[in-house]
Amino acid sequence: MTEVIEAEREVVTVRSLSKRYRDVTAVEDLSFSLSAGTVTGFLGPNGAGKTTTLRLLVGLAAPSAGEALVFGRPYCELERPACTVGAVLESGDFDPGRSGRDHLRALALAAGLPSGRVEEVLDTVGLTQAARRRVGSYSLGMRQRLSLAGALLGEPRLLVLDEPANGLDPEGMHWLRTSLAAFARDGGTVLISSHVLSEIAQTVDRVIIINRGRIVASGPIDQLTAQRPRRRRQRPLRRLTLEDVYLDLTTSTAL
Amino acid sequence: MTGLLRSELLKLRTTRRTAGLALGMVALVCLVVILHGMLFPARLANHDDEMKVFGWGAMGTLFAALLGALSITSELRHGTIRPTFLVTPDRRRVLAAKALAATMVGVAFGVVAEALTLALGALVLSSRGIPIRLDGGDVIQLVLGGALGAAAWAALGVGIGAVLRNQVFTVAGICAWLLFIESLFVGDLPGAGRYLPGAAAAAIGGGSTITGEVPAHPALLAPALGVVVLLLYAAGSTAAGIVSTERLDVS
Repeated sequence: MTEVIEAEREVVTVRSLSKRYRDVTAVEDLSFSLSAGTVTGFLGPNGAGKTTTLRLLVGLAAPSAGEALVFGRPYCELERPACTVGAVLESGDFDPGRSGRDHLRALALAAGLPSGRVEEVLDTVGLTQAARRRVGSYSLGMRQRLSLAGALLGEPRLLVLDEPANGLDPEGMHWLRTSLAAFARDGGTVLISSHVLSEIAQTVDRVIIINRGRIVASGPIDQLTAQRPRRRRQRPLRRLTLEDVYLDLTTSTAL
Repeated sequence: MTGLLRSELLKLRTTRRTAGLALGMVALVCLVVILHGMLFPARLANHDDEMKVFGWGAMGTLFAALLGALSITSELRHGTIRPTFLVTPDRRRVLAAKALAATMVGVAFGVVAEALTLALGALVLSSRGIPIRLDGGDVIQLVLGGALGAAAWAALGVGIGAVLRNQVFTVAGICAWLLFIESLFVGDLPGAGRYLPGAAAAAIGGGSTITGEVPAHPALLAPALGVVVLLLYAAGSTAAGIVSTERLDVS
């Protein structure tokens, strides 16, 4: 019984997750969990397996081993996935010939959501003015906002965002940060991947750092930066930054 | 399911692809029917000959097939398949809704192509003083058969697109198959060729293939058998599309 309650409180549960593509191992034996109301940064260099992990989490790819659960279930078994998880996995996932509003209307219809939600999320992300235009004419920042609008349509309790900061101007970045903070304050949970370390440090409560498909560190930022570096490259008297920790853990040691 | 179907219908009408395909079809039908109607030898004007003018409505099948194929390959190409599968993780339902939506628009394509062909053909032939030898039964078979053929080919297109995935290969493959490869089989191996999906569509749509040929009578299936064969192709192709998509890692 206690185990069930525990599992329900865990918004994301990843256990021994692995993904192999022929002879390439993208993700190897990954385990972590997220609890409600937290904002977690998912960090790692290009090719570390961040995107693969997020895709496994939302059922776009099948794991080779292990499991990834959302609210205790595989994503594909959620009853109303759009009302449970909002995910942005690529900022360019639009048909350039379709308007922003029609893109959202198609998603809302498939999710069984009222069309009023489309106008609400357009307003939330500040795209009401541009909603009639074809997405092909949107800037990168506008596409990011439209992606986020799609993720917010069903008023989900978990947001999974892959590099949402790409292409956002400082104002957009500020808006994203305050939106995520408000979302988490209301009990929502966020998993956000990024390589923009300074932005992550300001936005998230804790980080998971992966390299070559494996977790190399995880925990609150304070805890990670308080640790001693593995290699003695850093000056000893300075307090470590997230960047120091990140580089220490992800830079190749095989010299 | 209705929400999903409405979503797929909305996707079809909110880009310029569907209108572009419809316009392309109308333009091609106009060109071919007027050209053949003008060049039609008046002294050969028996019933079967006139089908060489009135049979061009079969072109609806090609454009319906392209419509169905693009409805899935464009999602794979632009990545919209990701949000689509996020909202509806049951991919079988997505593919089924796509096939159904394409079928519905395919019916419209078939009816428009046949009606336009009949109207234009009658106009051109009568303006030359050639009597129209088609009767009401012929007209009904052309319109119903053309609509059914286009509907089945729209679902077939969804399945082909879901299996091949690449938009260019899919479009080129469907065009090559319908415009060229099937004629070879129907002409050279009619025993087997008449069971092919394009020939089956020709069998139910008045006996004219999409390339305007009217094979001699036993070369095509009886219309009723043609319907069964065509529906089997549509169902089989959708099933193949589902199998192929279910195992796909969308990366």
